[in-house]
Amino acid sequence: MPQNRLAFPGGHVATTAGDGLELSINGQARTLDDAAIDPSMPLLWALRDVLNLTGTKFGCGVAACGACTVHVEGRAVRSCVTSLASVSAKRIVTIEALGSAAQPHPLQAAWIAHQVPQCGYCQSGMLMAAAALLANNPNPNDADIDAAITNICRCGTYPRIREAIKTAAAAMRGTIAKPMAVKHA
Amino acid sequence: MKRRTLILSGLGTAAALVVGWGALPARSRLGAADTLPVVDGEIGLNGWIKISADDGGVVLAMNRSEMGQGVHTALAMLVAEELDVSLVKVRLVQAGPDKLYGNVAGFVAALPFHPADAEPGRETRTVKTGQWLMAKLARELGINVTGGSATVADAWDVLRIAAATARAQLLGAASLEWRLPLAELSVTNGVISHPSGPQGHYGLFVKAAAATPSGEVILKTPKQWSLIGTPAPRTDLQGKIDGSAQFGIDVRLPDQLYAVVRHAPALGGSYGAVNVDAALKLPGVERVVRLGTYAGSTDALAVVGRTYWHAQRGAQALQVEWRGPPAGSVNSATIDLALERTARAAADENGGVAFHSRGDVTEASNNAARQFEQVYRVPYLAHLTMEPINCTARVAEGRVEVWAPTQMPGAARQVAARAAGVDEAAVTVHVTYLGGGFGRRLDVDFVGQAVRIALETGGRPVQLVWSREEDTTHDFYRPAAVAVMRASLDAQGLPTGLMLTSAGDAITPRWLERGMPALAGPVDMPDKTASEGLFGLPYGVPNQRIAHVATRSRVPVGFWRSVGHSHNAFFGECFIDELAAEARQDPVAFRLALLKDAPRHAAALRLAAEKAGWPGFAKEQALPAGVARGVALHESFGSIVAQVVELSIEGGKPKLRRVVCAADVGTVVNPTIVAQQMEGGVIFGLSAALYGRIDIIESVVQQTNFSSHPVVTMIDAPRIETHLVASTRPPGGVGEPGTPPIAPAVANAIFVLTGKRLRSLPLAGRSG
Repeated sequence: MPQNRLAFPGGHVATTAGDGLELSINGQARTLDDAAIDPSMPLLWALRDVLNLTGTKFGCGVAACGACTVHVEGRAVRSCVTSLASVSAKRIVTIEALGSAAQPHPLQAAWIAHQVPQCGYCQSGMLMAAAALLANNPNPNDADIDAAITNICRCGTYPRIREAIKTAAAAMRGTIAKPMAVKHA
Repeated sequence: MKRRTLILSGLGTAAALVVGWGALPARSRLGAADTLPVVDGEIGLNGWIKISADDGGVVLAMNRSEMGQGVHTALAMLVAEELDVSLVKVRLVQAGPDKLYGNVAGFVAALPFHPADAEPGRETRTVKTGQWLMAKLARELGINVTGGSATVADAWDVLRIAAATARAQLLGAASLEWRLPLAELSVTNGVISHPSGPQGHYGLFVKAAAATPSGEVILKTPKQWSLIGTPAPRTDLQGKIDGSAQFGIDVRLPDQLYAVVRHAPALGGSYGAVNVDAALKLPGVERVVRLGTYAGSTDALAVVGRTYWHAQRGAQALQVEWRGPPAGSVNSATIDLALERTARAAADENGGVAFHSRGDVTEASNNAARQFEQVYRVPYLAHLTMEPINCTARVAEGRVEVWAPTQMPGAARQVAARAAGVDEAAVTVHVTYLGGGFGRRLDVDFVGQAVRIALETGGRPVQLVWSREEDTTHDFYRPAAVAVMRASLDAQGLPTGLMLTSAGDAITPRWLERGMPALAGPVDMPDKTASEGLFGLPYGVPNQRIAHVATRSRVPVGFWRSVGHSHNAFFGECFIDELAAEARQDPVAFRLALLKDAPRHAAALRLAAEKAGWPGFAKEQALPAGVARGVALHESFGSIVAQVVELSIEGGKPKLRRVVCAADVGTVVNPTIVAQQMEGGVIFGLSAALYGRIDIIESVVQQTNFSSHPVVTMIDAPRIETHLVASTRPPGGVGEPGTPPIAPAVANAIFVLTGKRLRSLPLAGRSG
C-alpha cells in the first residue's frame, strides 16, 4: 500500500497520442475520452465529475483550503488548480487508495483512535496532506505540522489532527523494519 | 412592553392553534409503525424503531441531520442503551416527512424566558405555561429542524421511551412464546435468554411483539447505563476517512448534469439583458436558466454543463447587465453607524423591547457614585461551510426528487414543490451528510434553485453547486450589532445597575418569511435570538434593564452557530470584565461574587479557573513573560461554558497557546463528542474573533473566498482542554455553547497583556 506502487513499480503511464487523455489514478490507467474535456481542465473535476471519484473534495477552487489535496508523484498537490495537462504522465493517488477499513493507512487508524472527523468534509484533503508529510518526515514536530498542514477545517478538528499525525508517525517509526512500513515510507 | 406581556402575546397564536389538545407527555411522540418506510423483513414497533426479522438488527428512523455534531451517533446510543444492543447493531434510515419527527425542544427553547426562571425543575408558573403551549404548538406544526443545539434534548425522552417500549414488547412476545415468566428473561446484545436455556435474537420475536402490549415501561436509571456516558466511537467516521461518505455534493446519478450559478453581484439585485452566445459556444455547456428568487435568494443565472468546470466556464462567459436592488443599495459602514444611533437613542429613552427588567435602573442611576458606559460592536459574518452550497434535483413524470445537505428537510420539500408547481406529496427529499451546517443550511434557497434548473433538463438529474465566491457573497449573514452598555457603580466601584441596549436585525422573522412563509405574521414578533445571552446574564446585579431594538437593514441575515449568543457573549463578558477592572478586582473573583444565586455558573467558572491554574486557585500556574490569561463565562442552549485562554501577541495578532474549557452540559451522552464540539465551537468562534468580517459596499459583499476572508488554520489552533461538570440534569445543548465565550476570553486576555480594551471584532491586526 498504496497499491498502485506495487501494481506499477515503474510508476508512469504515458499519455497516448490518440483521442482522449490518459491518466494514472490509484494504479489504474483511466482514459478520459469525452470530447468536451481538454487538458486545461483541473484534475479535481476530472476526478469528481468524470470519474466519479468523489472522495476528493471541492472547497474553494483557488488552492486556499486544501480539501482537494491528492498526491502527484507522492507530493501533496491541490487538484483544483492542477491542470490535466500537467499530470497526464504522472502517478496520481487519491483518498480512495490511501487505505481501506481492512488495511488502513496508519494515519487513518490514528484518525479513528483520536476521533478526529466531525462533518468530515475536509478530512480527505487533511489525510492526503498528512500522508505526504509523513512520507518525507517520519518525525514531524509542531512547526513541521503547522507548515505542512495549511488546509482549512471549519469544524475545528486541528488539535486532534495534530495529535493523530504524531500518533501515526510514531506507529510508522515503530514498524519501520517491517515490509508494510517500507511501502509507506 | 413588559416581558410577561410580550411572552403571552407571543403565545396568543399558539394557544389558538392548540385548543382541544390533551396532555403532552413524551409518550405521545411514540408514533405508529406505519410512519416508517416499509422494507421486507423489517417490522416496525413504533414510529422510530424497526427490527430486522432476519438477524434482530435495529433500524432507527433518524430525523436529524448529521453535520459534524455527532447526533447520528448520540441518538443511536440512546436507542442501543434501552434496547440492550451494541451500537453497531443500530442502523439508521432517514425519517420521513411525518410531523412526528418535528423538533419540539428547539421551539420551546426559543421562548424569551430568563434562564434563571426556566431552570429545569424550578420553572416559574409563567414559564411552565409558556413551555407547555409552545410544546403543543411545535408538536402540531411538526417542523423538522436540526438546530438550536436541541437534537439530544429533543430526543432524550422520546427515543429512550421508544426503544424501551420496543424492548418490553419483544420480551413480552418471548415470554408468551416460551411460556416463561417475563421477569426471568434477560437481554444481551439483542439476544433474549432464560436461565433454563432458551435464547433467541429480537428478530425471532418481532412479528409477535408488534401485537404484544408493552405493559409498564420503565427507563433505565443512570446507574444501569452501560453506553450512555461512555466515549463510544462515532459511527460515521469510516466513510469520512476513506472518502466514501456521501455529502450532498457527492451525489452521482445516471446522466447527471452540473449547474453553476451567478447571482446578481448586489444582494437583492437582478439582471437585465443577458447575452448567452459566448457561453453556449463553449464545449460541454448545455444551457442557461434564468432564476428568480427562491426562499430569499438573489436573482441569478444558472449555467448547466457536462461538469462543474464546464458550467463554471459557461457562467464566466455570460454577458449580463446586472441591476442593483430595487429599494436601493446598502453599505455595512452606514448600517453600523445607524445601529449605534438607534441603540443610543433607545438607551436614552428606555426604548426597545426589554427582554429582562428587574429593580429600577433609573433609581440605581440616580443613586450611583458614577456611571460607566462603553459601546460594543460586531460585523456581519458569513458561515463558510466547507462543503459549498449544493443540491441535486431530478424532475420527471410529475415527481420531484431532491438530494440535499439540509438542516430543514420539510422546508426543502416545500420550496421544491413551489419551484416545480407540484404538491408536496410529489416531492421526496433525501438528506445527505452535511459538510458543515452552522445554520447556513437552515435556509433552503439553493433547493428551490436546483429544482427550477431541473425543470429544464428533460428529466436528467442536475447538481447545482455554488462556487465559494457565490457562497461568501450570497450568504444569509450573522447580523451586525451594536450595544450601548451602561452600568451604575457605587462608591466602591461595584455595579448596582446594568442598562444594556443593543440594536441589530432580527433573524427569525426574516427567516420565517423566506423559508416558511405560512408561519410569518403580518408584524414581527420580538425575536429572542437578538437579545439572547445578554438579557440572560447570570450576574446578581439588582437593577437591570436589558433591551433590544430590532432593525431592518435589508441585508439577508440568518442563523449562525450560537446565533445571538455569538455577539452578546462578547458584549456581556467583556463589559463584565471591564466592571471588574473598574472595581479593581480579579476578573474571576469579581464574577464569582456576583454569582451567589447562580451556583451552576459559579461551578463551571471555578472548574475552568482551577484547571487553568488561575491565580488564587489551587495549583496556581505561573505564566511566562508576554503571556496573559483571559476568562469568559456564558450560558447558551441550556449549557454553561467557562473558558480561560492563554495568549501572547505575535505580529499584531493574538497567538493562543491554550484554551481551558469547563462545561456543564447536563447529562453527558458521549464525552468524546462533547469535547469535539467544545473544540469545534472554540475554533469556529476564534475564526470570527480574529478574522471574521463581511463588508458590504453598494450592496456588494467585498470578501469572496478564503484568500480575502481568512479563518483559523492549524498554525492558529490552540491546545484545547475540555472539563465536564458532573450533572444529573437532562442533556443541554452541545453543538453551539462552546462558541460564545471564546471572543470575550481572547479580548479580555489582550487587555491584561496590553491594557487595551478592544470593543469590536475582529481582533487580528489591532492587538499589538
